[in-house]
Amino acid sequence: MQNHPSYPVLSQLLAKYPATGGALFQVYNDLTLAQRWTEVEVLDLPACKRAAIKGQRPTPDTDRGPSICVVVPCSLSESISTSWLRAAFTSLDPLPSEIYVAITSEDTSTVYYKISQGVVKPPV
Amino acid sequence: MSLINHTSRSKASSKPSSRRTETARVYAHPIPIIFPELTCKFLGLSLTRPLNPHCTALFDPLTRSAWVSNSGDATLLWQRGFFGKGDLSRSEPSWLARQINARKMKGKGLTSEEITAKRRAERKQFKLDRAKAIAAAAAEAETAFNEQGRVIAPGIAPDGTRIIPSAATWKPTSASVPSDQSPIDVAPDEKEEIEPIQDLEHLQLSLQEAFFLVWALDCLTILHPETVFHLIVFPQNVSFTLAEIWNTFQNAHIPSSVPQPNAPSPPRFDNPFLVSYIAYHHYRSLGWVVKSGIKFCVDYLLYKRGPVFQHAEFAIVVIPVYEDPEDQANSPFKLQNAEPFTWSWLSTINRVNSQVQKTLVLSYITIPAESRVSPKVLSSPACFAHYSVREVVLRRFIPARMRD
Repeated sequence: MQNHPSYPVLSQLLAKYPATGGALFQVYNDLTLAQRWTEVEVLDLPACKRAAIKGQRPTPDTDRGPSICVVVPCSLSESISTSWLRAAFTSLDPLPSEIYVAITSEDTSTVYYKISQGVVKPPV
Repeated sequence: MSLINHTSRSKASSKPSSRRTETARVYAHPIPIIFPELTCKFLGLSLTRPLNPHCTALFDPLTRSAWVSNSGDATLLWQRGFFGKGDLSRSEPSWLARQINARKMKGKGLTSEEITAKRRAERKQFKLDRAKAIAAAAAEAETAFNEQGRVIAPGIAPDGTRIIPSAATWKPTSASVPSDQSPIDVAPDEKEEIEPIQDLEHLQLSLQEAFFLVWALDCLTILHPETVFHLIVFPQNVSFTLAEIWNTFQNAHIPSSVPQPNAPSPPRFDNPFLVSYIAYHHYRSLGWVVKSGIKFCVDYLLYKRGPVFQHAEFAIVVIPVYEDPEDQANSPFKLQNAEPFTWSWLSTINRVNSQVQKTLVLSYITIPAESRVSPKVLSSPACFAHYSVREVVLRRFIPARMRD
C-alpha cells in the first residue's frame, strides 16, 4: 500500500485510526480515481474515530451542477449506531444537510447510503 | 464478456450467439488450474500434469486482503473462476480501459460501468419526463374542474392516447444524452497521448478467496508486504509459508499495519475468518462461484457459472451457531448473525432478495464446543472437519396467491 500514490495523502490518518484505515483507503481511491471527484480533502472526525472525505461530486444532471458532499467511510465488519451518525453531523462545519456513509467490504465492493437529518422527500 | 481486450472480430461478435460463444471461450476454465487433454495414458492413469499458473499476490493487512498487481495474473484469476475484484471497478479490473476510453472519447466498446452509467442517465431522464407529464396532467385536470366544473381523467388525452410516458414505450431523446465531453483541441490531445496512464488498479482477493487459492488449489503464493534486501542488493518480497498464512489470516481482524504471523492466542473456533472461510469453501468446492453479497444485504452470492453468464440465483446468509453457549458468552468476537434474527430483519432481507429474484438461503455453521474438541486442532486447516454446514431455504408463502 505504501507505493500507492494515495498513500502519502492518507498516511497520517491511516496510522491514527488503523481500525478504519482500510475503509478510508478504499473509499478515497474510489472517489478520486473511479468516480472522479474534484477538490477532495480529508477531514479528521475524532468524535467518530475516523476520517471523512469531502469533495465535489461531478453529476451528469444538466439542471443540478456539481455539489459538495461529505462521505464517511466504514467497514462492513463494524457496528455503527445513530449516536455515531449524529456525531458525524455535528463535527462537520458547516453543518451539512446530508452525508453519505460508504460501507466497504473486503473484496472492495462499496455501497453508499445517503443519510439526511430527519425525513426528506425524494426529489422525483 | 470482457470488452477490455478489443479483438479484431468486433463486427462478428455483435450478434448474441457469437457473443455467447466468445464468452464461453474466454471463461472456459472454472478454476485457474487447467487439466490438459489426455494425450497419453499408462494403465489408465494420465501422464500429463495439470498446468498450474502459479500466481502471486501481496498481503495488505490494513485492507485485510491480498492484492494481485500483475495484470496477467489478475486477468487469469478473473477469467478462470471469477476470483477477486478490481478495486476501482464493478467486477474485473477495467479502470485503465475506462481512462483510455475517456481520453479517446470514442465510446466504442464501452466497459460495463459505462453501460450502466448510460442506462442510469436514461432512466433518470425518463423519471423526470414522467414527473413533468404527471404534474402537467394534474394541473390540466385542476383547471378543467375549476373553470368548467367537469372532471377529466388526468392521464388520458381527448383522443384516448396516454400522455404520461410508460417505461415500455419511452425513448430517450437526443437531448437527454449528456454531452459532458467538450471537444478538445488537437494540440493538447497529442501531448496527453504521449504520457501513458499508470495503472493504479489491482485485483483484490478477499482472505477467503486467497486462502482457497493457496490451500485448496495451490496456485497462489502470498508475499509479505515488506521488501527484504538480499545479499545481492535485490529487493524482493518474502513469501509466506502456509502456517504463517493460516495464522496471519486468523489475526487479520486485529487492526494493524503489519501482518501478525504468530498463532492466535488463545486459538478459537469462532474466529471470524474461519467461520466465513468454511462457508466459502463449502460452496466453492461444490462448484458454485461465490462472490460478496454486500449489495443485497447478505454475506455471499452464488452464481452457477459466473457473473458474466447469469445473475446470481442464491443469496447466502451465514449464521454461526455455537454448540456450547458458554463459548459464545466467553467469545472476544461478536460474530454477525450469531444472535437470533428479529422477524422484521429477516423479512427485510427476504424482501430485498425476492425483488431481485434471488432465493435466500440461511447457511448454519456449527461451531464445535471447546469442551468437546481440543483447540489444539486449530493449528492446521484439518480443524474444518469438526464444523458442519446446514442450509435452510427461505421463501415467502402467500396462501391466497400460491395455489397453483
